[in-house]
Amino acid sequence: MNRSLKWIGKRVPFVDGPQKVSGTAVYGSDVARPGMLAGGILRSPHPHARIVRLDVAKALALPGVCAAVTFQDTPGIMSVVMGPPYEDRYPLAKDKVRFIGEEVAGVAAEDEEVLEEALGRIEVEYEPLPAVFDLESAMAEGAPLVHDKPRNVAAHFLRRYGDVEAGLARADHIFTHRYETQAQAHCCMEPHGTVAEWSADGKLDLWTATQASYWIRQDIAHTLDMPEEKVRIREVFVGGGFGARSKVCDDEVICTLLARKAGRPVRIRLSRGEEFSTTSTRHPMIIQITTGVTEAGDLTARRVRILTDNGAYNNVGPSVTAFAGLIAGAHYRVPAVEVEGYTVYTNRQVGGPFRGYGSPQVTFAIESQMDEIAQALGLDPMEIRLRNANRPGDVTACGWAITSCGMEECIREAGRAIGWHRRKDFGLQPDGTYRGIGMATLVHCSGAKIHRVLGGDLSDTRIEVRPDGRVIASNGNNDPGTGSRTFIAQVVAEELGLRPEEVGVRTMDTEETPLDLGTWASRAAFIVGNSVRRAAVQVRERLLAVAASRLEADVQDLRVGEGRVFVAGAPERGISFGEAAAAACEGRGAVLSVESRYDPPCEFPDKETAYGNLAAAYTFAAHAAEVVVDPGTGRVRVERYVAVHDAGVPLNLLSVEGQIEGAVVQGVGWALSEELRYDHGQLTNPSYLEYMVPRASDVPRVDSRLVDVDDPEGPYGAKGVGEPGMVPVAAAIANAVAHATGHRFRVLPIRAEAVWEAANGVRGPGWSGA
Amino acid sequence: MAKRIQVRVNGRPLEAEVPDHWLLLDVLREVWGLTGAKEGCGEGACGACTVHLNGRPVRSCLTLAAWADGGEVTTVEGLGEPGRLHPLQEAFVRSGGFQCGYCTPGMVMAAKALLDDGIPADEAAVREALSGNICRCTGYNKIIDAVLEAIREARA
Repeated sequence: MNRSLKWIGKRVPFVDGPQKVSGTAVYGSDVARPGMLAGGILRSPHPHARIVRLDVAKALALPGVCAAVTFQDTPGIMSVVMGPPYEDRYPLAKDKVRFIGEEVAGVAAEDEEVLEEALGRIEVEYEPLPAVFDLESAMAEGAPLVHDKPRNVAAHFLRRYGDVEAGLARADHIFTHRYETQAQAHCCMEPHGTVAEWSADGKLDLWTATQASYWIRQDIAHTLDMPEEKVRIREVFVGGGFGARSKVCDDEVICTLLARKAGRPVRIRLSRGEEFSTTSTRHPMIIQITTGVTEAGDLTARRVRILTDNGAYNNVGPSVTAFAGLIAGAHYRVPAVEVEGYTVYTNRQVGGPFRGYGSPQVTFAIESQMDEIAQALGLDPMEIRLRNANRPGDVTACGWAITSCGMEECIREAGRAIGWHRRKDFGLQPDGTYRGIGMATLVHCSGAKIHRVLGGDLSDTRIEVRPDGRVIASNGNNDPGTGSRTFIAQVVAEELGLRPEEVGVRTMDTEETPLDLGTWASRAAFIVGNSVRRAAVQVRERLLAVAASRLEADVQDLRVGEGRVFVAGAPERGISFGEAAAAACEGRGAVLSVESRYDPPCEFPDKETAYGNLAAAYTFAAHAAEVVVDPGTGRVRVERYVAVHDAGVPLNLLSVEGQIEGAVVQGVGWALSEELRYDHGQLTNPSYLEYMVPRASDVPRVDSRLVDVDDPEGPYGAKGVGEPGMVPVAAAIANAVAHATGHRFRVLPIRAEAVWEAANGVRGPGWSGA
Repeated sequence: MAKRIQVRVNGRPLEAEVPDHWLLLDVLREVWGLTGAKEGCGEGACGACTVHLNGRPVRSCLTLAAWADGGEVTTVEGLGEPGRLHPLQEAFVRSGGFQCGYCTPGMVMAAKALLDDGIPADEAAVREALSGNICRCTGYNKIIDAVLEAIREARA
């Protein structure tokens, strides 16, 4: 890392902090437009049914109701999301509903009370159809079909990288295990919601919580059969993402339709109950993994079969399964990998993007099995990981060309930090509890060129220098808490000798800020960072060139600082940025404007095999958890947690630590307590009172650390870190519990009931302890 | 039935005429334009709506507006002075005790109550006291850092 940097690599307070802590930050849900109506959605009470009759007349007749919309009010075009051939969902149900909560109609009224009354007056007649709720039933012969397709398998692939048969043949041991992971609710603190307003000339303004403005602009324009230029996503603060809002959401389209029909702005805000029960979740998966290994512990081959519960519509399901398959093809130095993936429709809430995008699920399987293998072979779990760790310069089985890689350093540091040598003293404690330590690693990408819908993985930045000297950076990226507003300011400040709080930053507005694909795939620091840096460097060069001419000095003798360009050693000989900008434009009142694009040097994977280098950098981590298990209550308490990451050089240490710490706690929730419970497709716990997200008193201080890795392509050496913190957590905890108790849990979450039953020999012999 | 209420909000006398089943959160946000307090769940489980009523932290999503009549309400907008953040808010900014910021108004008001109560600067006590406020972004580390720092500063 370049130690002479002023802002990069430091702990820089978030530039939008004052607004957030003072309650003046305006979120989509805070926006009030003149004449705004309250909008709401009528949803299906059936998991699978034909809509026989739908009549909104009685709702419309209610005084105070201004509009009602159904499928008939749409051009009958499906949402894009991943694009063909996966499109399968209309924003409002056409003639069938396929999950409890599916959107059937929308209403806009003068206030919430009239709205509630109106929704209750819509007449719907359903003909219930047989429904299917679990993966294995959905795949069985004769299962009820969720879509008008011959079977419930929405997507299937079988991919081979290298010769798995040969790899298994030369293994000394072959292990096969089955793991199961559950759905998870994003629980963004700001529920989904949209404010939509049409202008007289047919332009649409949307204030909505989104992670990907340009993505949803395209999708909404497509679904409503209107030009993209007429759709404007406005900049707002966004109350969390984690993947919940990285694709179009149905409330966005329905709100838009209502506003058009009513001729007035409309706001839809989902209740927390709707948020839990009708928005997308993490995909549940069943994963079977077969691994060949030599006596010494070298992995020789891996065969993985992934069953993904899609829910009722595709959303990104096939892509999540594919990515999980790629993780199986990249994690550790395994020469041969075969992956088979089934993405299967069920009449359940739809799966969508969620931090890790299939990796937490498959990594739970891979990293749990690594410990099971280590135990069977009498090897140390840390040593076997070191032995098989990915290394710089490797090309993984699925074609990921690893450049910078600190996996080995992460593993060693995690072991040091948790006190790996103490393991032998753990197990049953004098007080009757069990104590254990477990480790898990991860591999992830910094951005991913997998979606052809918007042309790859681009980011455009515009930087303006105004005559008054103000510098404003604009990038279409979205900051749902990931801190991109701040690192954009830092990069500009670094290159132009300013303070971050002096740099104006505009984001996510599709009219005011140039194209960026949004915040997902851990892409922002790497791709947006590089884009901003290129533009900032160009701005500096322009300013220096103008100043050189004005000051009759050589460019190499000039410096930038405090909003001026001046001669090194003679700071009084200088001009302000404003003067330089005006001179560059040869006139007063002009703005110096530079636009720059970053398109990472990687490739779309092969359409059939998914082989290919889909990112220009990869990230790694090793986590270690120390747990205490109470056999009397079944409770697993995470007492210490160490997360060691290779994220390259951190643009903002405060932000990188925060992303890791927050992701780990989400992972702890997924591992131990978060569970969406369904009864024939009906979510029975749509509430924070019964869906247990970790609270401050539930989790320890996360010890997050970075290893010293400088990426050659990343801005200042940075790589992405948004998702990785979530990925190894469940396995690290399951491994720690197994170390503590001798009992292996292969199904998530590791419920207290299950732990208690295992401890007390309810469903089999009680555990023996480590 | 509508009810006329008079409340001293952040030191200013405000009035509203609202249906008597309206919640304090709705009056603050929809009538008085104070959108700092957020609705995160509508059932008092997440803490995003936390404000102070007569010196105590309350869930404004479970507090009828009528109960505030004649009382004093402090929202996050009422901390500090125009152009100057309260030291507690500054501690949050310095420590990075937020990411998306949506839980932050409620979290700050809950933390303010700890400060006012003189809670000891003990991490476990702070975690327990903030366990009614959910944050999905931070994992709580830096929130705890901010609050402990603010408590230490206030004692100094």
